Amino acid sequence: MHEYDPASFSLDPNNPEDAELIGFFVAELPDRMCTLRTAVDSEDFDSIRRLAHQLKGAAPGYGFPTIGDAAASLEHCLKENSVNALDQIQSELDTLISLCESYTKGS
Amino acid sequence: MNSIHEANPDSTPLVLIVDDSKFVHRLLATRLRSESIKIHSEYDGKGGFEFAKSQTPALIMLDLDMPIMDGFETLRALKDDPVTKDVPVIVLSGSSTTQDKVTAFDLGAVDFVTKPFELTELRARIRVSLQLHAALQMLSQKAMIDGLTGLYNRSMFDQRWQEEYERCVRHKHPMSLVMLDIDHFKSINDGYGHPAGDSVIAGISKMISTEIRKTDIACRYGGEEFSVILPDTTPEDAFAICERIRVECEQTVWPNHPGRSVTISIGIAGTSTQVTVGADKWLEQADRNLYSAKNSGRNQTRMTDSAGESQGLSQAG
Repeated sequence: MHEYDPASFSLDPNNPEDAELIGFFVAELPDRMCTLRTAVDSEDFDSIRRLAHQLKGAAPGYGFPTIGDAAASLEHCLKENSVNALDQIQSELDTLISLCESYTKGS
Repeated sequence: MNSIHEANPDSTPLVLIVDDSKFVHRLLATRLRSESIKIHSEYDGKGGFEFAKSQTPALIMLDLDMPIMDGFETLRALKDDPVTKDVPVIVLSGSSTTQDKVTAFDLGAVDFVTKPFELTELRARIRVSLQLHAALQMLSQKAMIDGLTGLYNRSMFDQRWQEEYERCVRHKHPMSLVMLDIDHFKSINDGYGHPAGDSVIAGISKMISTEIRKTDIACRYGGEEFSVILPDTTPEDAFAICERIRVECEQTVWPNHPGRSVTISIGIAGTSTQVTVGADKWLEQADRNLYSAKNSGRNQTRMTDSAGESQGLSQAG
């Protein structure tokens, strides 16, 4: 479910400014994933939620609306279920992490 | 020069972005490059508030969800502080609940933008906020300044006099207050017309402005009457300044009436030590000295070092 038009968040890798943003985002991702894993290991749900919240807000602007969506649904899940639905949170997390990894490794 | 402060002498507006996410800062810095603005980034509410207080930016873009001091707390602090309360704030938020929007507007935000943001829309919103801010600043400047002379107007004098008086009481520094009036001004208006009278008023304002320091405060008190607040200045020093103005005025040849010179009478009340009279009493003393200068034949300066006499604040007030 989009609250925005994903088409307006598609970036053009041939445009230098767009390419710069895409490059920055991809370079930053491993660090974020690392922070996210640490938060997961220590069951620091507040940090997970904050990271998800940040990715939700920022990823589409860098041309990664799908990461934004996955982060949004993780944030939503954490808000709605607090810490009771661990399975569901875990699966949202897995989706987000594997999506992010696909970008860092793929490109 | 008179001290009319420009909020930002450099014409490029300074925009403060407060967000805990590096992604947001980088995205905005890149996407707003083509705008004629200067951007400063802060990563938490406390840092943002402190920066705003010391630099008074033209616009603040504020995230809501931040650790330690969140966006609402920061907004509240900004709007409670006299230095930052008029700086427009656009709230940038990942949440788009009506409750958050209402709270933001209630606390004084000018706009609310949801993340992820549409860049073209955000740019337009930034421009509107900056234009509105510039227009409001210009209006409030106009409301403080006398149109003919460019000096502070009467209502600004009342405010500044109170402030400077309180500062003088706190710091126990010398200070002087000058009341200055053009002699027989009505006859200039009647004899040579109002434009001639206006140029005398403007000309004398210029003489005052040239003679005083940047920290002094010159005002058009009434029709042909001026007041000057001279912080950190003893009545004796004020006397020397006023005499220079008086003599210059007396010697000036006016294009509209070369044969008719213009003189001024001046009353000074001040203290070279600690102030003991109230602000109103002090003003009365300066006025009394002005009238004594008038009654003794005009074109002269009368001064008393009386605001520090041992009259006691309570009975003097």
